[in-house]
Amino acid sequence: MLVFFLQSCAGWVKNRDYHPFDASELDKLTPGKSTVAQVTEMLGAPSNIVKLSNGNAYIYRRSLSKGTGLWLLIVSFGNYDKHYDQIVIFFDKKNVMTHYGVTLDAHKAAYGLPF
Amino acid sequence: MVFPFKIFLFLMYPFIVGSLITGCVSYRVIKAVEGRSVPNIFAEFRIGMTTLQEALQTLGAPDQVAELEGKDILIYQQSLLSNSGLSFGIPFTDIWGPSFNFSAYGELVRYDLVFLSFTPDGILSEIASEKGLRYPYLKTMLFDKKGE
Repeated sequence: MLVFFLQSCAGWVKNRDYHPFDASELDKLTPGKSTVAQVTEMLGAPSNIVKLSNGNAYIYRRSLSKGTGLWLLIVSFGNYDKHYDQIVIFFDKKNVMTHYGVTLDAHKAAYGLPF
Repeated sequence: MVFPFKIFLFLMYPFIVGSLITGCVSYRVIKAVEGRSVPNIFAEFRIGMTTLQEALQTLGAPDQVAELEGKDILIYQQSLLSNSGLSFGIPFTDIWGPSFNFSAYGELVRYDLVFLSFTPDGILSEIASEKGLRYPYLKTMLFDKKGE
């Protein structure tokens, strides 16, 4: 047992891609009223913009990942868990918001083992 | 004076054996999950009836958005990477020259996917899904054909 633990090692890693969203700001989004200018003023520059059939989609994405490593003598385990906070906002050709979808899931990233 | 020496050997022996084993045999298991689980939406969504707004309320923000031949595509996905490796070596380099080293590694990435296609009016026109995570790691790695 002594050898087992003296030859062992463990490590943790945490990566955050950009600052999290302020969820309270999302209540200000109003389909049919909010414009591109208002949204970008509120949320900043999008991570990506996609051209759609009737307008554009602005994609805001943040991520949080947590990794765990464990080395026990001859066996090693690694686990990496990555989750996203995402907001996708659909605008019509007049740059007025028509729909939006929100997923706030980044907090679910967890340390763990691969089984 | 003999007694402490025996204790010393007793303590050193596991360290030497442990160090040798560590250098000769190793096994690793790695798992990486990206994204949230993708729900089964076939029971809830109806082609020609479900709207873009309903889909966004049910599933949240999609992982990918695209336009394809005049239709708007939403894709939801979760990926699972599984990696394992076994290595076995006998280090004869100091006494003989050549050494034996056997190793086997495998990596499999599986996806759960939901594909939704909407007309420009925001009505669901096509739906597809794939449950890749249901395939077991070893069986998928070892057999080339689905179901064998």
